[in-house]
Formats: sequence, structure tokens, C-alpha cells
Amino acid sequence: MSETVLQIEHLTMQFGGVVAVYDLSMEIRQGEIIALIGPNGAGKTTAFNCVTGVYEPTNGQVIFQGETIARSHPYGKMRKIYAGSEADAYLNGSVRLSPDRITRLGIARTFQNIRLFSGMTVFENVLTAMHLRRRSNFFTAALHLNRAEEKAMQQRAAELLEVVGLTDVSGELATSLPYGKQRLLEIARALATEPKLLLLDEPAAGMNPQETEELSAFICRIKEHFNLSIFVIEHHMNLVMAISDRIYVIDFGKLIAEGTPAEIQNNPAVIEAYLGGGEE
Amino acid sequence: MWNTIFPYLLSGISVGGQYALIAIGYTMVYGILRLINFAHGDVFMVAGIVMVYLAASGLPLYVTIPLVLVITAAIGFLIERVAYKPLRSAPRMSVMISAIGVSYTLQNLVLYITGGLNKQYPTIPWISDSVTIGSATTKLVTVITPVLTIVLVVALVLLINKTKIGMAMRAVSKDFETSQLMGIKINSVISVTFVTGSFLAAVGSVLYFTNYPTVIQTSGAMPGLKAFVAAVFGGIGSIPGAVIGAFIIGIMENIIKGLDVILFKAGVISKPLGLATFSDAFTFALLIIILVVKPTGLFGEKATDKV
Amino acid sequence: MAAKGKDGREKNRRGAVITWVIIALIYVGVFVAEQLLPPTSMLFTVLKKGATYALVAVSMNLLNGFTGIFSLGQAGFMLIGAYVFAIFTIPVEVRGSVYQYFDGGLVQFTLPVPVAMVLSGLAAAFFAFLIGLPVLRLKSDYLAIATLGFAEIIRAIFQWNQLGPVTNGSNMLRLFPKFNDFNITDAQGNVIVYLSTLVPFLITGLCIGLIVLLLHSGYGRALRAIRDDEIAAEAMGINLAHHKQLAFCISSFFAGVGGAMLAMYQTTVQAKSFTTAMTYEILLIVVIGGIGSVTGSVLSSFLFVACSEWWLRFLDEQQVIGDFQVPLLRNGFRLVVFSIIIMVVVLFFRRGIMGTRELPDLFRPRRKEAALK
Repeated sequence: MSETVLQIEHLTMQFGGVVAVYDLSMEIRQGEIIALIGPNGAGKTTAFNCVTGVYEPTNGQVIFQGETIARSHPYGKMRKIYAGSEADAYLNGSVRLSPDRITRLGIARTFQNIRLFSGMTVFENVLTAMHLRRRSNFFTAALHLNRAEEKAMQQRAAELLEVVGLTDVSGELATSLPYGKQRLLEIARALATEPKLLLLDEPAAGMNPQETEELSAFICRIKEHFNLSIFVIEHHMNLVMAISDRIYVIDFGKLIAEGTPAEIQNNPAVIEAYLGGGEE
Repeated sequence: MWNTIFPYLLSGISVGGQYALIAIGYTMVYGILRLINFAHGDVFMVAGIVMVYLAASGLPLYVTIPLVLVITAAIGFLIERVAYKPLRSAPRMSVMISAIGVSYTLQNLVLYITGGLNKQYPTIPWISDSVTIGSATTKLVTVITPVLTIVLVVALVLLINKTKIGMAMRAVSKDFETSQLMGIKINSVISVTFVTGSFLAAVGSVLYFTNYPTVIQTSGAMPGLKAFVAAVFGGIGSIPGAVIGAFIIGIMENIIKGLDVILFKAGVISKPLGLATFSDAFTFALLIIILVVKPTGLFGEKATDKV
Repeated sequence: MAAKGKDGREKNRRGAVITWVIIALIYVGVFVAEQLLPPTSMLFTVLKKGATYALVAVSMNLLNGFTGIFSLGQAGFMLIGAYVFAIFTIPVEVRGSVYQYFDGGLVQFTLPVPVAMVLSGLAAAFFAFLIGLPVLRLKSDYLAIATLGFAEIIRAIFQWNQLGPVTNGSNMLRLFPKFNDFNITDAQGNVIVYLSTLVPFLITGLCIGLIVLLLHSGYGRALRAIRDDEIAAEAMGINLAHHKQLAFCISSFFAGVGGAMLAMYQTTVQAKSFTTAMTYEILLIVVIGGIGSVTGSVLSSFLFVACSEWWLRFLDEQQVIGDFQVPLLRNGFRLVVFSIIIMVVVLFFRRGIMGTRELPDLFRPRRKEAALK
């Protein structure tokens, strides 16, 4: 079995009285495509935000390639109202890496509500995401003495745009693109950070069936091409079933099922969560 | 020792009350529009100038003072309608720049009208009378200010908590868009906020300029900034916070003004250090410290950004 | 800057060439005009002060327009620059008369002008570094008010009597080199070559050139990414604190150099003149020029200075045409007109003169623009 890339242990995220994610544990291995699904408001994006360092989890830890990127335990008032089973497990040594550190370690993400750099062209958006891998120091870069590096970066940006099929619009303002292409650009931008693990937050939102099918093939292709592991949140079941190696299902922040696509499709708990549980 | 400090303390409380009346305008506007109304200090100054010109026209005081309050409130209303309302959906930076533009405009208008000269503020009888309390001789206004401030603040809090418009204000400051959807007339709520804020600033100006009896176009800038700091210190959006913050800042500032004298008489220093230079700077140092240590101020609420 | 990709850059060769020609013509024009026109001409006052303001405005734009940090501390950093420059360049022999209340002051040596100017910038950047650590974590308007407060603190410190041996307390610093000292004179003191306007132009040109280079580099892109979307920028591995700090220090460095230039222009320096109003004025220049346009800031600096010092001066004086006394015109009217123009720009022309366009964009082949729409 291949090595574990991302390990989430007992992750809980609580906002005041609202528990968005509760005691979530999951694992992603090298080369896998893992999907996290669940009804709206189930806490999927919150889980992403904990992994990428945007939120500090209330409890639990996240390990990426053997390095702890987040570990915390409830404190103060939270500790009193927290009802977690593992409340004391992470008492010592809180860890909270900032989002940019985590990206540098090799986790890149896209956003559900597209967050492109609006004042920049498509090309610049991709180029900007390569900034973190630059070797030149500030003075050589600011004085344009790093011609070779800059040229290499431009070349790679052009390649990435080629891969996602946006070469013909590279000079246009990012926000002038149609919705579907903006999503592709977000993926290209994330790839530009040279990730090992790619987090896709509803990549097919707003796409038609035709585009969704193309996206499925595209995700599998980039996984092979860039040797990635992929963690995806999605509502389009066709896409999820087509590409995922394993699926995790959460509802009201709790994990209710996990397994292969075939297992999930026949899981009564999942069907109930999605279709509603009759009289209650 | 006490006798040395007391006069500074007294004038600190008085100035604090005047700052409080200005600070309420900042904190209410910020609570609703999330805007630092940089022009608010200048509204306060304009109230002073209006008073100067009304008094010169020979009208009796029982006419001029109410008139100043009404005119200032009207100016506050106008500023909002002309300079802020058109930018409701614009980025926050644009609105802030507009506020700075209004401040610049008001100062220049007053400069033009007065010719840039210091104008003597009219003496208001009774509150300008001298009184002696303990070791301090001061004007009666010094004693009246804190009392009047507290009375007005209580009235304002009642207005906000008990009336329908007050309820609307609280709703708007909690969630701008939702309250709009719930049928609250946003624009009238905002207007009421500006009118109330300007009205209180006008009251503050009458008290303030009785103590510092000249008005010039830049008179509003410093008190305005300090009142804003007071609002931030107390937790912006919170009226009691702004008032407490204002009193703390007023007192500290005046103590620092007298620190040389106090320390000298206490025998700590043998020659003056010129610490009074820092009475303004202290306020801003306090601001930076509070922003770094507790950005929400003493009574502010915390908000989480959604990603 | 709209299309800076590989292809975009090639397509706008024309714009770049025309821009360089225009810049060269301006410098030649300034040099020639200075040799031919009387040095007392109002034109040179405007050009010198305009060049100074242009640098400060661009440095503010670097923060407010390109990084999205709303800072109001510019006057404070200019003050530091102006003081450092003045303190280190007053000739030793006249220090006694300048620091008359402080026994000639503590500093008893003189640095060459270029060294002192760099030092001005460095000092401002150093203070920016110190203040940036706590303040840059704050959100938009809190940051604005904190930086504004910082400028006020600086102003108080420099006026403090206890620091008199260095800063001359609240007294004026004077007798340091000024722009006119750049003129080349013969042994009798007659001017052979006038350089008093060209040199400030060269300094400003060099500094703005450096800023433009920075903006076009990877770091410039990172700054613009922060402006456009902090959360996305951070998710792309851009360290927010580090880059904001960098922008803040660089902006302050150039504001400090601008302060030194202002000192040379004014020939005297006094802390009490570096008020919040000065920062507001620079901010309004940036807004009029277009937030996010270097060209706009430069243009509007010269326009602003020309209007306030020269073209609109007549508004401040009573004018009589025949028997008709023009109403409203008297001292202060110019500033009222100014305020109204500014409010109109702020309310109705929010993009300012240039928006986010730069000079080369104006000469972009038309076809491209049509294709964009």
C-alpha cells in the first residue's frame, strides 16, 4: 500500500455554539483521489479551511507527509462546552501553520466562491502563484536581475495554461472569463505552486453535464501528469463516482460513511442523509 | 500632592465629557456603516463657527444655542446624503477617501469664510462663571460637562433600546443587508444616526469652546481624532465604551499636560522635561497599543470572516 | 499593465518606445527651459515642488493602490526623512547659529548630500519596520488610523525639547543644502549651468523608476495579489506579513527621500508643518491621479502643485474687470474650488485621471482594446 499523504485525526471545528465539523478522521494516500461529500452546510469547506490553515481547529490534528500542520485542543470556555471523545489527546504542543507555510509544504487549493486576482490577467494569475518557489532574493528580483528565472517561470506558466486549455485567453483579465474557465484557471493557479496534494472545492459548480464530464477526465489527467493526490469536495455525483478511489460522507459535521463509490452508493445512511429520513 | 493633581483631573473629566459627545457620533456611524467618518471632527468645528456668526448677528442666546444644534444636525444630514450615500456599494476605501475629502472641504470653506483668523467664541453667561472647588478654580462648564454628558448618554441609550427607530438602528448595525430585506428603511436609519451624532457634537462644541475660546478651521481635527481614539479604545460600535474611553483619554491627556508640574512638586524631577509635548502623542500611543493588544477595544464584539 | 504576459509585452513595444521618448523630451525640456527662462519663473517652483510631491505620491500609491494597505502615515515618514537630511547636511560652521539654544547641537560633522538622502530613506524605512510589526496586522480602517496616529507621535517626539541637541526641539532647522545649490557656478558666484530643477527631476525619476521596476517584478505581482484578495494570496503561498512589511518599508523609504527633497525645496524644516493635512493632501493627489497608476500620481502631483501655486492663484485675489468687482474672489477661495473639484472626482470620477492605466497603455494599438471588449 502506498504511503499516507494527509492524515486528519479527530478534527473538530466549533464556532461558538455551532459545531461545523465533529470528530472527523480521514486519510489520503499517495496517488489517490478522495472525495468528501455531504449535503449543503455539512461542514465540507470548513474541513478544507482547517487543513489549509485558514481556521484553527477546536480539536484534533492534521498531518501532511509526516509533518504536523495543525494540532490544537479546546481551551477556556470552549473546553467546558466541548464534548469531544478525544478532548485530552492533543493537549501538549499546539501547532498552527499559516496558510502560506502549508502551501509551501505542498498543499494547494481552489475556492468554492472563486477567488482569482481580479486586477490581473490570466497569465499573471498563474505567474503570481509561482512566487513562493522563487530562488532569487528581493533585490535581484526587484531590479530584474533574475532574467533566467523569470523566463523559466513564464515558460512554465504558459505550459500550465496549455494544460488547462486557456492559452488563447492568457492576456485577458481573469475576471472577464466565463465561469467554467475561471474554475479551470483556479486549478492552473493552484498547480503553479507545485503541490503534492491538491484540494478542489466544488470544481464542477455551475458547469453543465458536458463540461462536468470533461472535468472528470481533466482531473484524472492532471493527477497522472503532476503525480498528485487529490482531495475534492463536490456535489455532482457523476463526477464523484467517476473519479474517486474512496469517498467520505459527512452530515451535520459528522462522518456517516466511508468507502469505495460502489459501497457508498448502496449505503442506507448516505441515502437517508441525502433524501431525508422520512417522518421525524 | 492631591492639590496639584486635582485641577488637572477636573479639567480632564471635563474634556473627557466633551470628547465623549464627539465619540458617540463616530461610534454610531461606524456601528452602522463601518466607516470612520473623518469629517466628524470638522462638523464639531463648524458648530463652533456657526455659533460665532450667530452670536455676532445679535440674536439672544436662547435662540442661538438651539439654532446651532439644529444647523449642525442639518449639516450632518447633508454630508451623509451628498458624500456617503452615493458610495453605498463602493469599496470601503472610496468611502473613507470621501470622508477625508469632506473634512478637507469643510476646513477650506471655513478658512474662506473666516479668512483663516482665530474667531473669538462668544461668552455664554452662567456656564462661564468661575467656581472654586477644593484647590481648583475653574469655569462652571467644567463641572456641568460630565453631568450633561451622562444625562445625554442615558437619553441616547434609552432612545436606542426603547424606541422603534432605535431598534432599527441596532438591527442595521448587526446586519446591514438582512435588515434591508426585512423592510427597514436603511437610509432614514442612517440619516437619524448622522443627525444624532452631529447634534451631540454640537452640544460638545458649545461646552468645549467655552473652555478653549477661539475657533479656527483646524480646531476640530485634534479633538475629532482623539474622540475617535476614544471610540476605538472603548470598542467601536459600543456607546458606553466610547464614553468610558473618552473620559479615560481626557483625564490621561490632562494629567500628562501637568506631569512636569506634578513630578516637580513631588520632587521626582528637578527641572521640567517638557513632557506636555506628548499629551497628544500619548493618545495615539494608547490607540496603537489597544489595537495591537485587543483590537476590538474594551467592549467591542468579535467578528469572523467567512471564506 | 493590463496585459503584461509574454505576448502582451511584445504587442506594446510601440507604447514603451513612445513612453521613453516622452520621458526623454521632458528631461531635455526641463534642462533647456532652465537655461533660457529667468530662474525666478513660477514654472520652476511648480516643477521642483511637483517633482517632490510626485515621488511621495507614488510611494503612497505603492501602498494604497498596489498593495491595498490604506496607510495615512506618509507625513510622518517625510518628517523623518526631512529631519535626517537636515541634521546631517548642515555645514559644521553654521551649526552654532542653527542650534543656538543647544550649543551647536550634538552632531558635529556633515555628510555629502547623496549619502544623507539615502540615510533619510533608510531612517524612514527603519521606523516603518518598527511600527509595521504591530500595525500591519490590522484591518483597513484601523490600520489607517493607527498609521495616522503614528505620524502624530513622530511629530511630537521631534518637537520634544529634550531631544533639542539633535532635532533642535521645536525650532527650525535651516542653512542645509537646497535645490539652488545644484547650480554650477564660476569663481565669482555667477551661475554657468542651471541644474536646480533638473536634479530633483533626476532624483524623482530614479526613485520612481525603481518603484516601477519593483511593481513589474514577481514581488510587485505578489503585492497586487494581496490587494486583490488576501485570502487567495495567502493560499498561493504568499506570506502576508512579510510582503506587507516589505511594501510598507519601501514606501516609507521613498517617502523619506521625498521628505529630504521637500526640505531642500523649502530650505527650512520644522516638525509642526508635517501635519495630517499634508498626508490628506497627498492622498487626494493619489486619488485624483488614479489609485493604482504611477503615471496618474505623477501627472496629478504636477497638476495639483501648478493649480495651487500658480494657475489658480488669481482666485485668491480680488479681481476688478472695468467697474465690475468679480464676486467671491478673495483669500481662501482657491482652496474652496479645489475642495469642490476633489469631491467631484471622489464622487463621480472614482477612477481619477488614469484609473489603473499607465503611460504605455495609452499608446497601445487600438485593435487590442476593441478585442478586449
